[in-house]
Amino acid sequence: MSSESPTDRASRRTRILSNHLTTSDLQVGGNSLQSNICLSYSPPELHEKIEFEVRKMRELLDVHNLQDRDWLFGLMMQSKLFNPQEKGGKVFVMPDFNHTKEQQREMTMKRIEYLLERGVFDGWLTTRGPETEMRKFAFMETLGIFDQSLAIKIGVHFFLWGGAIQFFGTKRHHDKWLRDTETYRIKGCFAMTELGHGSNVRGIETVATYDPKTDEFVITTPCESAQKYWIGGAANHATHTVVFSQLNINGRNQGVHAFIVQLRDFDGNICPNIRIADCGHKIGLNGVDNGRIWFDNVRIPRENLLNSVADVTPDGQYKSAIQDPDQRFAAFLAPLTSGRVTISLSAIYSAQIGLAIAIRYALSRRAFSFVPNEPEVLLLDYPSHQRRLLPLVAKTYAMTCAGNYLKKMYVKRTPESNKTIHVVSSGFKAVLTWHNMRTLQECREACGGQGLKTENQVGHLKGEYDVQSTFEGDNNVLMQQVSKALLGEFIAAKKKNKPFKGLGLEYMNEPWPVIPSQLTSDILRSSNFQITTLRLRERDLLNRFAAEMSQHQSSGVNKEYAFALGYQLAEDLGRAFSDRIIFETFLNDEGTVSTGPMKDVVGKLRSLYALTCMEEDAAFLRYGYLSTEKAAAVRAEVAKLCSELRPHALGLVSSFGVPGAFLSPIAFNWIDSNAWSSSSA
Amino acid sequence: MASQNSVMAYNDQVLVEEKSLTRILVLNRPKQLNALSYPMISRLLDLFVAYEADPNVKLIILKGNGRAFCAGGDVAAVVHDIRKANWKSGAQFFTKEFTLNYVIATYTKPQVSILNGIVMGGGNGVSMHGRFRVATETSVFAMPETALGLFPDIGASYFLSRLPGFFGEYVGLTGARLDGAEMLACGLATHFVPATKLSLLEEALYKVDSSDSNIISAIIDCYSQQPYLKDQSAYKRLDVIDRCFSRKTVEDILSALERESMGKADDWINNTIQSLKKASPTSLKISLRSIREGRIQGVGQCLTREFRMVCHFMEGKLSKDFFEGCRAILLDKDRNPKWEPARLELISEGMVEQFFSRMDDEEWDDLKLPSRSNFVLPRHAIAKL
Repeated sequence: MSSESPTDRASRRTRILSNHLTTSDLQVGGNSLQSNICLSYSPPELHEKIEFEVRKMRELLDVHNLQDRDWLFGLMMQSKLFNPQEKGGKVFVMPDFNHTKEQQREMTMKRIEYLLERGVFDGWLTTRGPETEMRKFAFMETLGIFDQSLAIKIGVHFFLWGGAIQFFGTKRHHDKWLRDTETYRIKGCFAMTELGHGSNVRGIETVATYDPKTDEFVITTPCESAQKYWIGGAANHATHTVVFSQLNINGRNQGVHAFIVQLRDFDGNICPNIRIADCGHKIGLNGVDNGRIWFDNVRIPRENLLNSVADVTPDGQYKSAIQDPDQRFAAFLAPLTSGRVTISLSAIYSAQIGLAIAIRYALSRRAFSFVPNEPEVLLLDYPSHQRRLLPLVAKTYAMTCAGNYLKKMYVKRTPESNKTIHVVSSGFKAVLTWHNMRTLQECREACGGQGLKTENQVGHLKGEYDVQSTFEGDNNVLMQQVSKALLGEFIAAKKKNKPFKGLGLEYMNEPWPVIPSQLTSDILRSSNFQITTLRLRERDLLNRFAAEMSQHQSSGVNKEYAFALGYQLAEDLGRAFSDRIIFETFLNDEGTVSTGPMKDVVGKLRSLYALTCMEEDAAFLRYGYLSTEKAAAVRAEVAKLCSELRPHALGLVSSFGVPGAFLSPIAFNWIDSNAWSSSSA
Repeated sequence: MASQNSVMAYNDQVLVEEKSLTRILVLNRPKQLNALSYPMISRLLDLFVAYEADPNVKLIILKGNGRAFCAGGDVAAVVHDIRKANWKSGAQFFTKEFTLNYVIATYTKPQVSILNGIVMGGGNGVSMHGRFRVATETSVFAMPETALGLFPDIGASYFLSRLPGFFGEYVGLTGARLDGAEMLACGLATHFVPATKLSLLEEALYKVDSSDSNIISAIIDCYSQQPYLKDQSAYKRLDVIDRCFSRKTVEDILSALERESMGKADDWINNTIQSLKKASPTSLKISLRSIREGRIQGVGQCLTREFRMVCHFMEGKLSKDFFEGCRAILLDKDRNPKWEPARLELISEGMVEQFFSRMDDEEWDDLKLPSRSNFVLPRHAIAKL
């Protein structure tokens, strides 16, 4: 553009204007689909019918704090800090990913300060109860829809640092830190992972030694592999951290404990005996300042031990209410549970963004004609495109309900429900984050080349969300934990000859079910068939897994190694368990919908979810839960359901409740947003 | 049914001039400041629909006869209808009006509204959704519904929510009046043309032989000027407005304003607080939520939602504030409405929620907007969906 002379520009404008003149005459007042030499964008809103009330469907998905969410969406849309950009007559908000990582980090911090000023974080740590927790979740989900970095940076500060103070600290810590955390007078981070130890937290090498002479702990990074790694907030902004460290008292190791250490003074200078380095540029989440920390015999007051689980007296006596070291350690992982809840939900909202974009694009983009000289066909009118995207929509609906179930269970937690929450949150976190990554990849491909542009989100989000299968527990490890827990239930029930109770396994007390020999469409769509088949898989896999474990152990293999050898069944079982609970939660929510067009659609989604699970997992064929004929019937029904859901596609993605400003240009007028006038303005 | 009176009203209250490919529609009830009557709205809708199909029409100019553009919908008549018959007969006015608003918002041909003098309430509904809005030094804009026990309707939740920052909340909740310069600054107006140049502008627009927005815009540009934004303009207080009107609830907005006003004599803030305190508390809460929802909805969704809300107000089951407001401001003119509930804190979220739900009436349907799928909409209209 810069090389163009003013006269060139003027004549070009004239040319464009006269083009406008001739083409607009053709278009304006056109009464039918004229076969025009130029494509024009036809908005899906005008030609797609929505037969249910989107507001009601959104309530089914978002459930709680809808006005709070809309308020927060508005706060972001109306501020320049959220980088509003006009494309094709619509305004989109999205971080500027052309910024360097340093700039992105500064912008993230500025956005947090803006949200803080507007009262978004009011009461996050200074009030308690289910209502506060649900509001926090709603805000986290909404913030994540704008930018995952923003949500994570806030999550680390409030849920990990703040959560550690709440859960592991006692009154003296609460009084001292919570209010200052809520107002960001101090900025917290959470130093658990080390270079040499991630999932295996019990193996960390950082050491805290008590010095009774000065009433202090001395925190030390004894070797390079003990450097704290990936600590969000540490590289630039955090003033304080919770450090996880082995506690050494009089030469005796008491296991992993949590301590508060100041990292920076209030001018941002790094404190003495602390070294911090950057983790560098990442494939995503560059708005979060992940850092590495070394502690060079840092001395902290004894009171900085977060002592709700265990304490050290001034004379160096170790005291703990929990005698069993395993249980003591488990207590330290509590804040990670809330992390797994928020991660599961943010994964689902990311999948919603991806699908809303890909489906809207598929409702406005055409390719090839079935008949020569006829108009080209909408992408979503191709059965193959429906099969690619609509089962993912069904899964996203099911998993949104599952996420809501998990949230509810979490905020109503009791000491008795902790184990269930741990198992369910582990399974869901793995399944939902994998689902998101798969969905984004499918959406990226479904958007073709447009999916490659950062501004169109679907491709870029893959980098932003990839980490989710790793942090707060590697997905594969979590799946194995789910199977371990199920095996525990199995062995306990068999040994004591007691009925199964909990984790939804009660059905295992009933006789083995029989799958009908003829799978008609009615049967395939009945929730009874669906739940029976999903339970059959879980039950059989659990039996097989138990048999394999006992076989290994009877041949002299130790328990841990036996688990390692049984990975195939363990991972299948973890998925079977998660799929089954997801289905149950979806079915349960479907039951709350009153009869009408919306219920019909939800019922189809539920069937599509269940049948897709069956179609995709080879276990159904491998172990013969479905014969080849039945598997073929399932597959045919999936295609049928896709075509029946096709007319509802726009309504289904509109009900996700993600405002257009948080989607992307290809979800709207992609011809205009790519027009020459848009690029040269 | 159509009496001779209403036939006459239909023909007289909107005048039509034809100038080559341009049509000039003149709102013609000067004594009532061109307040929109049912016959006017019907006529406008008929004309807009007919012109869209007419290849001999390229441009529509909408203006008012006399010193006002349009003071709003003829609410007194609506109340009269409701008193005489039932709420549904009053609601029919809105069915027609909102349909007109939607057709204007998604219109395939450019509309230039000459906003000389007062442009309020329903007057904004027939102009703000159009492509070009020309303000002058005599323009006075307002959405004063909260003082009347109603809420900014006619699709205002769409266009107010898209003003910069939280200016829309400010304008919608307080009913603040804006002059032409302020309208241009915040984007309610697309152009500012001095009143003395309006006839020249119109002459120039008569000669237009194209519906191309760029060409029309270029013509209006020739007569436009950059007006002076007065020092005490609310638009120059956008930082305070953003700080206060971005708050989550009406109560929070009020206390933020009160915090701002502490220890300083600031007329603007005090007036703002006073407007909020005088308005119907129910109206304030509903208006705030309407604007916030409108921000993430298309114009069609905004209008169907607002239609539900307006039906609830007409039905008078959830709140009678609209009738009380009309009594105090338009009929008895004692300017002393007794709102019920009288205080913000007496209105729960659940009560607000009810205004957004479908009417509990088997025989009453949501607003059905006309299909626009047979038209190739211009880009700015597509962006509003």
